[in-house]
Amino acid sequence: MISKTFLKETRELFREGRVRISLVIVLLLLGIATWISAKQYQNVNAQYAAATTAERAIWDNQGEKNPHSAAHYGTYAFKPKYPLSLVDQGVDKYAGTSIFLEAHKRNEAQFSAAADQTGLARFGDLTPDFILLFIVPLLIILLGYNSFTKEREMGTLTLLKSQGISNWKWLFGKWSALFLPVLMITGILFLIAGVVLANLQDFGVFQWSSLGTMFLIYIAYYIVFINIVLLISALVKKSGISLVVSLCIWILACLAAPKAASNIAESKHPYPTRQEFAANVLKDKKEGLDGHNPWSKEAKLLEQEVLKEHGVDSLHQLPFNFDAYRMQKGEEHEAEVYFKHYNYLKDQYTNQSNVYRGLAAISPYLPTRFLSMALAHTDYATHWDFADAAEAYRITTQKFLNDNFKDNSSFGEWSYKANADTWKELPAFSYDPPELATVLDRNASNMGILGIWLLVSFGSLFITTKTI
Amino acid sequence: MISTNNLTKRYGEHIALDQLNLNVKEGEIYCLLGANGAGKTTTINLLLGFVEPSSGSAFINELEVQQHVKATKKFLAYIPENLMLYPSLTAVENLDYFSGIAGKRLSKTVLKEFLEESGLQSEAFDQRISTFSKGMRQKVGIAIALAKEAKVLLLDEPTSGLDPKASNEFGLLLQKLRKKGVATLMATHDLFRAKEVGTHIGIMKGGQLKQEFVVDNISLNELEDFYLKTMNYKEEVL
Repeated sequence: MISKTFLKETRELFREGRVRISLVIVLLLLGIATWISAKQYQNVNAQYAAATTAERAIWDNQGEKNPHSAAHYGTYAFKPKYPLSLVDQGVDKYAGTSIFLEAHKRNEAQFSAAADQTGLARFGDLTPDFILLFIVPLLIILLGYNSFTKEREMGTLTLLKSQGISNWKWLFGKWSALFLPVLMITGILFLIAGVVLANLQDFGVFQWSSLGTMFLIYIAYYIVFINIVLLISALVKKSGISLVVSLCIWILACLAAPKAASNIAESKHPYPTRQEFAANVLKDKKEGLDGHNPWSKEAKLLEQEVLKEHGVDSLHQLPFNFDAYRMQKGEEHEAEVYFKHYNYLKDQYTNQSNVYRGLAAISPYLPTRFLSMALAHTDYATHWDFADAAEAYRITTQKFLNDNFKDNSSFGEWSYKANADTWKELPAFSYDPPELATVLDRNASNMGILGIWLLVSFGSLFITTKTI
Repeated sequence: MISTNNLTKRYGEHIALDQLNLNVKEGEIYCLLGANGAGKTTTINLLLGFVEPSSGSAFINELEVQQHVKATKKFLAYIPENLMLYPSLTAVENLDYFSGIAGKRLSKTVLKEFLEESGLQSEAFDQRISTFSKGMRQKVGIAIALAKEAKVLLLDEPTSGLDPKASNEFGLLLQKLRKKGVATLMATHDLFRAKEVGTHIGIMKGGQLKQEFVVDNISLNELEDFYLKTMNYKEEVL
């Protein structure tokens, strides 16, 4: 009975003009979005490769120079674009792609793609994640809104009942017929993405396991939508009402809930303004050692401690350059200040994420969106990871430079220049995003919520169709 | 095959069916005659298990309907006044689906044989139902009953709206099924068709079975007379 219902529903679906047209439009949109994303992905990665190579060459070829001049000269940490960003671009567009690494200061990521665009960017981009998250659920509504109501309206329900139809088999047949085209469309997109990514060389490590997991997450999302659409169709009497109610749920789940969640999260756990943040950092910085100021109270205290520790009377008698030592200590203090303030931002981000997770109970879109971005390494968590890695690299770089200055010159010898090969000794910046297992572990609650959505929607659908 | 025992259905104060006692044996065609609201459709809905009786019981193949809603469906086929099938599917596809629902797995050849037996023209087998007339749809309904090998056929005004030719063809099909031993209960307004195809006739009014006849023992004129009297039409006409 399941296979007969499945075949009947599939025949009916594919013989309807609206379904054929909708499927063609969705496939066309997906094709265009994937092509645009692949081009953009290649373009950005080519820029990344060129910028990384060029920046490293500039660093390596500074020539003879004072290490602290090199520290102020600085370098860049570039954020790579990860393979699955082809499917979900997440917050990449807004998060910035590079961080300038310099002495005394932790900078934020800059040069976001959004900053390079005009106001037209507010209309959004045609990306695969847009199609997957918004358009495919619409397609599900279009295919399934009249699944049960049409039986009532056409009058076939009484004949079916008189034939002794088993409600759950009937339901599963209808469910399968709705699931198949969705599975096909999603499968085709992910297969194309996989083949494209597997054949792009030198652009990050592509893992089929991550793509497969992302595919399963989207399938779970669609199953929830299929269940909701069928549930509505089973509950109401008229196809028109079923369509309107389904569309209202789509608007609430996909459009209203994310924006409401964002507003609630921001109002409950607000970020400080840029001015507040900068003022707080400056205040804390002033309360500690400034590496450039030898006359401050903190510098004098450090001087006395070091002299006492080495049992000498003068900074000239120290076996290293105290100026460089003081600057390193100043760097360490500044790093702590940044650590404290950025940790506060991170805590606010975590609190906001928790609010989002709590609100994910009202929309299957939210956990799916978070999981998709996390798997694509385009979420804020990955961006934070990258920013932390860049900061760790900045601290390492400053220590490398200050140590070179300290160990190879004496107090007051500001004319010291490290030899031209020194810069090459500093390892290049590299950042590896979290592994799949870590991503899934971090997003266990999102998977749990999506799982609950699946169970509840299946349960409600099953109970409702028993009474048709 | 079909029997009812003091079958009663009330909707609040209104009695739709009042202590109906019926018995339709194998190879019999029992025609329930009556005006709108007489209780004919309620009887059929109770036999189908679509509604629960207020009291009394209905039996299909000696199984009490409410206790064996699923099991009784195996033995019966139902053709409503306006049989609706899936318009975008062909006759063969519709028959395949509805017989599949009843647990029959039949080849395309066998399905076509049933359609042929039901009197549908072979050119129509692979045409979509959306192009079918009501008479053609009723024939597919008979094919569904044939494919199901139903022992009981419940018909609710099946010839209503059919042209005389189609109505006659439908009557012949019922006779064919009768010879196969199918017990048929047909609710109808059509006195003449009832006399033509039925073996037994019952006249209902206000939810009650007022009169029962064996068709062979009564002429059409007598039947018409009884019917009009039962309905209180005779006096009004006179």
